[in-house]
Amino acid sequence: MSAHGHHVEGEWPHQPENATLEGRNKVLGFWLFLGGEAVLFGTLFATFLALRDQVGDGPTAAELFKLPIVGAATLILLVSSLTSVFAVQALHQNKVKDLIKWLIVTVLLGFSFLGLEIYEFVEYIHHGHNFTTSAFSTAFYTLVGFHGAHVAFGVLWITLLIIQVKKKGLNLVTAPKVYVSAIYWHFIDVVWVFIFTVVYLMGRVV
Amino acid sequence: MASQQSASNHSNRRHKHEGRQKHIVAFIFSIVLSLIAFAAVASVAEVNATFIIIILLVMAVLQVIIQMAYWMHMKDKGHLLPLVFMLGGAFVALTCIVMALYWVWW
Repeated sequence: MSAHGHHVEGEWPHQPENATLEGRNKVLGFWLFLGGEAVLFGTLFATFLALRDQVGDGPTAAELFKLPIVGAATLILLVSSLTSVFAVQALHQNKVKDLIKWLIVTVLLGFSFLGLEIYEFVEYIHHGHNFTTSAFSTAFYTLVGFHGAHVAFGVLWITLLIIQVKKKGLNLVTAPKVYVSAIYWHFIDVVWVFIFTVVYLMGRVV
Repeated sequence: MASQQSASNHSNRRHKHEGRQKHIVAFIFSIVLSLIAFAAVASVAEVNATFIIIILLVMAVLQVIIQMAYWMHMKDKGHLLPLVFMLGGAFVALTCIVMALYWVWW
């Protein structure tokens, strides 16, 4: 960590998120938060795995889930992770226009993911799969909905950061914020990998 | 890598910024691993379920490792504490999953 501390005034550092003590603390603190998030999602996955066969009179996972829509959601989130990493590369190169461009693409992809998820949930409710239908349905909506809420928070957060970078420019105060939001966005993608595997694909197998 | 890093701290012009290629490679790997998982489920009629679930979980873990290493920059220097936090989180999460299944089903 000390290797990043040699910032020379007036130059754009190699890793602007690590150039100040505040930035380094922000990044480190955010990783601690993500460790807690991992536990939080772990408990929701645990609940889902324990209750996923308790469908009562409601529809089963195999009856509900359609692979094309899950595949589309997966592709959208994967591409948005790639555009988010392009944004961080633009950040490292001090290219504000590129940074904002890639952040906007990321936000738009986040919105399309949310739209797809809302469409999916509405479809399920038409099939009699409500929040209180069965232990399976409650565990499903809690886990997947909680992830969707994270996506919603992410698009809001990144939108606000775009506005702030446009207003105040890219500097050693705003750079760590953008970097940390990108880490958050990748974490959402990582959680989705487990959701499409454990909830949707395993739901189709057994 | 270390010498490149210290050299780049001295002059803006000598900054060696990483290219896009490795992130695109990570993206292609993620797509391929996802496709394998989806294809395994689509072919579910012929193969046994336990075998498919093992394939699915292996694909998911591989994809998460690739994404964390490249996109979340965990393979870069100075990421020991983030690694400790994430492994700690994953350990507690896994314990929760095992305990929930144990309490409910055994």
